[in-house]
Amino acid sequence: MARVGVFVCFCGANIADFVDVNEVVEETKKIKDVKFAINYKYMCSDPGQGLIKQAIIENKLTSVVVAACSPRMHEKTFRRAISEAGLNPFLLEIANIREHSSWVHQKDKKSATAKSCDLVRMAVAKSIANEQLHEISVPVTKRALVIGGGIAGIQAALDIADAHIPVVLVEKSPSIGGRMAQLDETFPTLDCSQCILTPRMVDVATHPYIELIPYSEVVGLDGYVGNYKVQIKKKASYVNFSSCTGCGACSQKCPVKVPNEFNLGHDKRKAIYSPFPQAVPNKPVIDAEHCLMLTKGKCGICKKTCEKGSIDYDMKDEIIEREVGAVVVATGYELYDASPYEEYGVGRFKDVISSLEFERMVSASGPTGGTPIRPSDGEIPKNVVFIKCVGSRDEAKGIEYCSKICCMYTAKHAMLLHHKVHDSHAFIFYMDIRAAGKGYEEFVKRAQVETAATYLRGRVSKIYQKGKKLIVRGEDAQIGQIVEVEADLVVLATAVMAQKDNPDLARRLGISYDKYGFLSEAHPKLRPVETSKAGIFLAGCTQAPKDIPDTVSQASACAAKVCGLFASDTMKKDPMISHIVQENCTGCQNCIRVCPYTAIVTEEIPIAPRSTEMRTIAKVNEGVCQGCGSCVAICRSFAATLSGFTDKQIINEILAI
Amino acid sequence: MKKLTYFPGCSAHGTSEEFDHTLKLVMKSLEVELDEIPDWNCCGATSAHVMTENLALALPLRNLVLAETLHNDTMGIACASCYARHKVTKYELDKDPVLAKKINTTIDDGTYHGSVEVKSMLQFVYEDIGIEKIKSLVKKPLTGLKVACYYGCLLTRPKAITQFDSPEYPMSMDRIMEALGATAVPFDFKTECCGASFSISSSDVVLSLSGKILEYAKASGADMIVVACPLCQSNLDMRQPGVEKLFHVKLNLPVMYFTQLLALAFGHDQKDLMLGKHIVPVEKALAKIGKEPEKKEEIKSKKTVESEEAK
Amino acid sequence: MITLGIKDQHTFLDEVNKRSGCNILECYQCGKCSGTCPVSMYMDITPRQVMQFVKLGMKDEVLVANSSWFCLTCAACSGRCPRQIDIPRVMETIRHIAIEENISSKSKKVKDIRKFHDIFLDMVRRYGRGYELRLMAEFNIRTRNYFKDMFLAPSALGKGKIKLLPARMKTAKAIKRMFDMAKKLEEQPKQ
Repeated sequence: MARVGVFVCFCGANIADFVDVNEVVEETKKIKDVKFAINYKYMCSDPGQGLIKQAIIENKLTSVVVAACSPRMHEKTFRRAISEAGLNPFLLEIANIREHSSWVHQKDKKSATAKSCDLVRMAVAKSIANEQLHEISVPVTKRALVIGGGIAGIQAALDIADAHIPVVLVEKSPSIGGRMAQLDETFPTLDCSQCILTPRMVDVATHPYIELIPYSEVVGLDGYVGNYKVQIKKKASYVNFSSCTGCGACSQKCPVKVPNEFNLGHDKRKAIYSPFPQAVPNKPVIDAEHCLMLTKGKCGICKKTCEKGSIDYDMKDEIIEREVGAVVVATGYELYDASPYEEYGVGRFKDVISSLEFERMVSASGPTGGTPIRPSDGEIPKNVVFIKCVGSRDEAKGIEYCSKICCMYTAKHAMLLHHKVHDSHAFIFYMDIRAAGKGYEEFVKRAQVETAATYLRGRVSKIYQKGKKLIVRGEDAQIGQIVEVEADLVVLATAVMAQKDNPDLARRLGISYDKYGFLSEAHPKLRPVETSKAGIFLAGCTQAPKDIPDTVSQASACAAKVCGLFASDTMKKDPMISHIVQENCTGCQNCIRVCPYTAIVTEEIPIAPRSTEMRTIAKVNEGVCQGCGSCVAICRSFAATLSGFTDKQIINEILAI
Repeated sequence: MKKLTYFPGCSAHGTSEEFDHTLKLVMKSLEVELDEIPDWNCCGATSAHVMTENLALALPLRNLVLAETLHNDTMGIACASCYARHKVTKYELDKDPVLAKKINTTIDDGTYHGSVEVKSMLQFVYEDIGIEKIKSLVKKPLTGLKVACYYGCLLTRPKAITQFDSPEYPMSMDRIMEALGATAVPFDFKTECCGASFSISSSDVVLSLSGKILEYAKASGADMIVVACPLCQSNLDMRQPGVEKLFHVKLNLPVMYFTQLLALAFGHDQKDLMLGKHIVPVEKALAKIGKEPEKKEEIKSKKTVESEEAK
Repeated sequence: MITLGIKDQHTFLDEVNKRSGCNILECYQCGKCSGTCPVSMYMDITPRQVMQFVKLGMKDEVLVANSSWFCLTCAACSGRCPRQIDIPRVMETIRHIAIEENISSKSKKVKDIRKFHDIFLDMVRRYGRGYELRLMAEFNIRTRNYFKDMFLAPSALGKGKIKLLPARMKTAKAIKRMFDMAKKLEEQPKQ
């Protein structure tokens, strides 16, 4: 015999001003199974909750309906309240008479009240069919995977490892360090980037809780939060890292020279190489596309030179597996290829370069030893034009967003140019100056005053060649005049983009990404480091363009989430998930196809009890299922059913209207 | 034998007669039969669209309707301005059938169906004929001649409408010239407007704009400028003495149509090219054909060492 | 000085938006159009400034400026505009509004340009095809610049670049009718 209690909330004026809450109570009392109905100003408050608890006990209620705001607000509150009164927390139903009634029907109190009564009646009918559900406990593997060894991945790895949780750090290139290793100085402090980064890199390499797997990629992820299995492809380096001492003799002797990616093609590296001097691990790898031995079977000098016999031309790619409980994705960014800007002569003019190329040039460890030069003739430039918003904020070229960091690093570039070439003159074409961080506005002012850079408000229209110079033409929108600058060198602040293979990685991990390839957070404001898949977190530019302080913050936030996840040996999970009624399942596997969380797998069961013949049916992985109901919708044989939203509950609701 | 519906445009019998004439020579060599639209009318050029909305669409519409009666799938237009007007009209009317019906009421030559594609002659030669065919017909290669290919603004812009080549740095004409054996110099001003229709009403604007183009072409090392538009040719050639006077420079940069060079390379004699029509004489530049190119300084490329020897 | 908030600022903007098919509110004043425009240096207000003027509802200033009349419709600006605004269309709309409301620049330059277009269209109406010699002659007379291009004429005529007699169309009447029908369409109320 059902004994339902209904509790109608005024929500201050939010509901009561537009819905006659007294009438709702009176109408509700008329419903057959309702044994108790009351209204109150603020049902979510302590006295409000007390009301509910008391009513449950005094009236021996079997289920509770709270008519109030959206369940997103206080479902947890009321579930806890009724469980404190001895009722299973899932015998609660919320009738949303705020968002679904008072807030949207403010002009018609009569109809709003009638609708509220309907919503309550539906909730009552549903609650009668509610079953007692219990939270599921899922075991947890206390190890974290961090994908990407830039500053984001490094920070997350160190924070997690410092909490004595083992970390597997996978990095695509031969060394960790990422973009920060390519920077000269960082804003707003003008700290030497490598100087502040390399100690962290060493910490990673020596940390007892971090397993660093360089020159590798994640190729597969199975499982669910707390219980993931990751497949990692260790690319063949042809160098035995355990015996290699990093002496560098092999690189010195190698005869093959290839454009150096680390310096964006402005100098050469060898076929056996370490990307930069402070590389961690400091072991070289062989570039299989250019090595003479691996492509033509000739040379072999590195092997002959190596005193430790660490070169092994027969090495193969290797797939290894690790079990982890959580994943932090920190794959960083790449820069926009400005070739579509034909009006800037990108690709035609050697002296039109990207900001990262300029950064490498002013770096002491860079291709020119720290002096900016004109790539066309090697001369030192005097007039340097910096163009901001190349690609960014340009819908015609396909990118609407702002890349956030370029205004700051362009001011920094003006400073670096001024330090390196004292009689230089920087011209900066801008649309806005975005300097919102701590100390950022002060830094821009400092740059403007110390370097006497000429800031010109206007997008550059065209660049053309005049003798040795490049003429940069645009409108100075502040004085409304066309200006042409005779430049020696032009630096383009190109847009920050997601890595090209982000979508592939996202698909392998089962998470979503946006139209630009940036990985999607679960909620932009309240859940910025989580993804739609429990246990997978995002840090750094892989999620959206950001600077180093924000990257480090986000990485630490991921670490905190991971530590929270691993705080106990088991994890509690919402039981409102799907399960398959075995007898009804025909094994058509449509549910597997539609499940967005890859939460359903096949299982073999005997066709009849005590039979040895097997048949295939579907099985829901309780840990992964998020309760979306897609399987229930597509199942033709009523096998898939969603706890908390069974057919009976829903039909009851419909019949109640 | 390919058939191409042909719209000559008003200047074909006047200021750009040499374009029309050499175009016909070239089409013969390319085995393309030109089917001229019967009793075509002026497209309205700049004035119609500057001053009116409906008339600007009506004038080209009549030609498009007449073109449909010839049952060829493509209409080729020599003058870039006429091409732009017809192309824009087709684009607007295909997009908005209600508008098409409305404009159709101004004529009684037929109903518009949108069945004929509109191409500029440059586009037709580059896309429908192709570089390989052009190469195969070259009898007198133009080696030794350095040309600056000037496209003007209407052949490749706006991109959504023309859908041909690049709006900023097109290379179709350059490639055709290279196929003929000439050297097309890098030319940053190839799509800067010459001043177009301001030739008569605001000549000083033309002198300034065309002047910049001429100076830049000369600085790029070109012997001549090659064009595909009568208005561009007129501004750069006929107004060149005016430019020289205003800017106190000596240019002597002849301006030829790409069809004249095609005809020359295909074996026609110089006297068939109507060279007498040019204000700036072309003979001196043409004399460079067949001569030894100036010795360029050899740029030593950086050795990418691939040593085969073990040290 | 401009005072805002005293009269309806958006009427002109809405009209220009509707007739040009653009949304000028999207213009973020980057100035790439002005730097690109080959004749922006001849304009009273640059293309970027025209957009801002329209946004501020400064209709008279925009109609009286010579900017729209100098626009060559070369489409270099719209090709580069990051917000993909069809600036030549906006200029065209401004010209048409200026003609309809009979407001235009008093400058001789603009008057000359408009006279040229009127004469050109008159030629087309009469002959169905262009007649350059008469066009140039009439233009010189009406702009009282009688000896303009005088030195050009002999060589142009001599070389056959400009023909003495007009080209004729067989059905020139069809063109006259077209002009009349088109005028009737202009006179219909704008949707």
